[in-house]
Amino acid sequence: MRISLASAALALLSLGCADRDSTTDGDAPTGGTLVIASAADAGTLLPPLIDDVSGKQVADQIFDRLAEIGAEVNTIGDRGFTPRLAQRWDWAADSLSIAFHLDADARWHDGRPVRASDVRFSHAVYRDPAVASPHAEVITNVDSISVRDSLTAVVWFARRTPEQFFEATHQLLIVPEHLLRDIARKDLATSAFARNPVGSGRFRFVRWTPGATIEIIADTANYRGRARLDRVIWSFAPDPTAAATKVFAGEADYFEALRREQIPEVEKNPLLRTLRYPQLAYTFVGFNTRNTLFANRELRRALVMAVDRQKLVRSVFDSLTSVATGPFIRAAAPAIPPIPQIAFDTVRAGATLDSLGWRDSNADGIRDRAGRPLTFSLLVPGTSAFRIRMAVLLQEELRRVGVDMKVEQLDINMMGDRQNTRRFDAIFGGWNLDPSPSGIRQTFTTVATKPGGFNYTHYSNPVFDALVDSAATTMNPEQSRGYYERAYGIIVQDAPVMFMYEFQGLAVAHRRLNITGIRPEAWWAGIADWSIAADQRIERDQIGLRVAPK
Amino acid sequence: MWAYIARRLVQGLAVIALVVTATFVLIRLAPGDPFAATLDSPTVSAETRARWSAHYGFDRPVPVQFARYFATIVQGDFGYSTSQRRPVGDVLADALPNTLLLMFVALVLSFALGIALGVFQAVRRGTAPDRLLGSVTLFFYSMPDFWLALMMMLTFAYWIPLFPVTGMVDAVMYPYWPFWRQMLDRLHHLVLPALTLTLLTAAVIARYQRAAMLDVVHDEYVRTARAKGLAERAIVRRHALRNALLPVITLFGLAFPALLGGAVFVERIFSWPGMGFLTFNAIMTRDYHLVTGSVIVGGVMVVVGSLLADVLYAAADPRLRRP
Amino acid sequence: MRGSWGAWMVAAAIVALVTLPLLRPPRIRDESAGPWRMIMRRFRQNRGARTALGIVLALYIIAALAPALAPYPPNAQPDPIAMQVLAPSVAHLMGTDLASRDVFSRVLHGARVSLAIGLLAVLLSITVGTIYGAAAGFIGGKTDAVMMRIIDALLSIPRILLLIMVTALWGQLSILLLVVLIGMTGWFGVSRVVRAEVMAVSAREFVISARSLGASRLRVLSRHVLPNVLSPVIVAATLGIGNVIILETGLSFLGLGVQPPQPSWGSIIQDGAQQVSAHWWISVFPGLAIVTTVMAFNAVGEGLRDALDPR
Repeated sequence: MRISLASAALALLSLGCADRDSTTDGDAPTGGTLVIASAADAGTLLPPLIDDVSGKQVADQIFDRLAEIGAEVNTIGDRGFTPRLAQRWDWAADSLSIAFHLDADARWHDGRPVRASDVRFSHAVYRDPAVASPHAEVITNVDSISVRDSLTAVVWFARRTPEQFFEATHQLLIVPEHLLRDIARKDLATSAFARNPVGSGRFRFVRWTPGATIEIIADTANYRGRARLDRVIWSFAPDPTAAATKVFAGEADYFEALRREQIPEVEKNPLLRTLRYPQLAYTFVGFNTRNTLFANRELRRALVMAVDRQKLVRSVFDSLTSVATGPFIRAAAPAIPPIPQIAFDTVRAGATLDSLGWRDSNADGIRDRAGRPLTFSLLVPGTSAFRIRMAVLLQEELRRVGVDMKVEQLDINMMGDRQNTRRFDAIFGGWNLDPSPSGIRQTFTTVATKPGGFNYTHYSNPVFDALVDSAATTMNPEQSRGYYERAYGIIVQDAPVMFMYEFQGLAVAHRRLNITGIRPEAWWAGIADWSIAADQRIERDQIGLRVAPK
Repeated sequence: MWAYIARRLVQGLAVIALVVTATFVLIRLAPGDPFAATLDSPTVSAETRARWSAHYGFDRPVPVQFARYFATIVQGDFGYSTSQRRPVGDVLADALPNTLLLMFVALVLSFALGIALGVFQAVRRGTAPDRLLGSVTLFFYSMPDFWLALMMMLTFAYWIPLFPVTGMVDAVMYPYWPFWRQMLDRLHHLVLPALTLTLLTAAVIARYQRAAMLDVVHDEYVRTARAKGLAERAIVRRHALRNALLPVITLFGLAFPALLGGAVFVERIFSWPGMGFLTFNAIMTRDYHLVTGSVIVGGVMVVVGSLLADVLYAAADPRLRRP
Repeated sequence: MRGSWGAWMVAAAIVALVTLPLLRPPRIRDESAGPWRMIMRRFRQNRGARTALGIVLALYIIAALAPALAPYPPNAQPDPIAMQVLAPSVAHLMGTDLASRDVFSRVLHGARVSLAIGLLAVLLSITVGTIYGAAAGFIGGKTDAVMMRIIDALLSIPRILLLIMVTALWGQLSILLLVVLIGMTGWFGVSRVVRAEVMAVSAREFVISARSLGASRLRVLSRHVLPNVLSPVIVAATLGIGNVIILETGLSFLGLGVQPPQPSWGSIIQDGAQQVSAHWWISVFPGLAIVTTVMAFNAVGEGLRDALDPR
């Protein structure tokens, strides 16, 4: 139990108050250790290259954006944003540029001040093809960033769009130029920084034991104030079951993806509670509309009619999740009125199939036409227990109307391959949504059907395309919503996919945690303000701000 | 003796080379690529993926890739892991000691337990304890390792919470504990996975040992010893045991690949960050270099293990010593 | 495989024909004739082995009759909401699973998959292994050395990793392909045994004299060598069935073997492994089924080995 100041890095890390124990700091107490159980190790901690959930969670604590989006996830204009590295901002009269004024107190964790040149550098790194950032595609509207003075960065846009502020701020985590400029861009991925990041956020990086843990500690001299907790540790497990087990065994405090069968386990444990939070993801059964079977709109509608999606969702999720009513999450778009659905009606479904010529001529329970049975295969990712369960239930539902659906469980790589080469009948897919609804352009418009695009069901409806385009370019939010509503209505009736369920997050958390600041697309957004009352501290909360030798 | 060892080492190298080539080709022929994990995000375009692929050289024809890989291997560089974004050498260096620890503990315990049980049973052949133990060993011998691991977890983590179920050490407190507490924590985490592996392997060894002992007990020279009037125990100790150990030593060579493979399930269920689990993950994520790297390491371990077994055998049995 | 009554009745009949004579307890005044009768007699004297053989026979009969014995269809989901994960009761002897399917019926149908794959894969293994080993042993010399080195290389790969690699890379496999895959990765040990036997027997006098008398190599092989080789091969085969069953269940557990909704003991265990404490019956019962089956096969195999080579 000795405080070690041996290495220089550690000396820097214990800048501030090396020996301070938990003290009550104003209203909320500071101190405590949060252990988050996670089912997947992070890939890298270099912001431009992060594309996995764990990496995002850690990076959002260590790095800052210019401005942070609020809990309503309002992506239009700038009203829904709160200042971060940028204390305030000014729009140019023509809205083609915004000048961000940085907080003069902002410091990197190694002590150097944050400058506008860091912002310019960050943007350059994100856009550089040599870095091959997966986020480069979504910030194309940001033309360039110029430096007016050491604390003012001007963001220049290619076009006026309703979401340009969101595009400029949300994807860009600001990284330190002075630590990265001497590294060749193509070597950034393998640099030491990627595994040992230095940011400006309310937490600073401590250590990363690959496959085991990532540890961060409160930055006590942070310009936005010290984080309430002392440290946060991500503890990795090979799969969600093992991760949940960690929490039940008292080895972790929080796990984000509980299954409803595990709720009784939580109720038996007086120290734990469940927590529901909105998420921006939905799943669907996508039909390959280039397939002769699914090119027929009436057939697709008949299949959707034949399935009691409500029953399926209730079976797998109980009341924790709702049926997806379109390519969006209702919790994230409360102002959009309910979209008319294809009603569950097995009689009509049967009649439709009959009228299309599909009848059971040989009494084997499966409809056929001209000698060919009504059969197709559904690809399901082997990693998703939920989708597998639902696929099995779906199989039964369809069998009852005489449709033979085979379930092919594939690993994620095989799925990707079949998806990209469009070699599938039906696929149980899902999308993690960006906060901006315009993401639908990447998934269901005609433009996205080109090879390499994500519209792998090949849905193409010019009316839908036009509505989505209008919605994404209209500056008036109400008008934009109206366009989206009509577009969603069209795609639901065309049924290129059967929308299955909206994810709703179910987490298990230790009762001593005061959880706050949850955002639909990032439950971890407010971790810096989570706290643990002084009288509820357990053993691991007592470590304080010590950093053990590596 | 040394010529024999040298010859076996050369053969072992050939074996490893063969296995690595086969793995290399096999995994590249399979559909899918290392960058499929970004499937659910419509922001990573095909161009970006193509760029990554080119960066790692995965878009070249397979023979070219193999030649480049071979060149780097010879220099001691195992390549770069796409799933963990760091050199494969580092990844293996982290995982290997964990597996070795588990395997070593399991090997020692299972051989000790297995040999003791086998001897015990052989000496008391036909009696009730022999039959009972025989059923017990048959029971564990016939059990799938993943099921035993699950049952262990169920019993000792949920029903009777005695041992931790995941990881090698406590995720939070370990770096902050004194040395003795750290060692205790390590042992604590080792119990369930090691016990699972031990029970299964010990059952196999016990059955072999018993059979080998019964073989030997009928041998001529043992009968002679008995005729000379030596006590049963002395016969067991002095003659039978030494000779009966020989077949069991050959088991040692077989135990290596078995434990390496069996560890896949155990490591997964108990979240033990070792080679078996690593290889499984690498295959799933098409991490080409990591898969080949693990296969090489695994191959080396197996070759060394069986070589060790053969050397021990030759050393133990004077009749087999080569000039 | 499912619903294929005919095939299963035939299989059960064959197994019965082979095993029934071995099930009779030995009579004191058995007229011992040829060596085969002696072997059978010794086997029958081993009570444990006899019981195990009875269990094996019972398993095949149960598997054959599974559709009749199962109280519910194995894939029927009467009510995926209200009848999920019910604990074992009189109506559902082994409870229900997450989709409200009756676990007992699924375990019965799963027996078909496991026993079928076990038997067929092992048959493939011993056929290939015997041919390879006999060829190596008979030809001898340099060819034999090379052939055996290849076997060494193949033996040093953990079988499960090889299977994982292939199944993971090529996705869903039909049961036939699964049988071929498992069979083709399991013949290495058999070939070694066969080769050793062939070489040992070839050196025996009667074979040498037969050859000096001018008998063709093939004739010598088939009339003298192979029958002696048969016994250890049968033992290896019986012990191998247990191994194959464990392998197949392991693959299904990882999601790589039999595909849904086809029940396999391994996939049923996996269904319940997600939260094994909340519904332990889904994982425990199929596991017990596996252990019982494999124990029975192992006991029979060891009984055969003791009968063939008494000490």
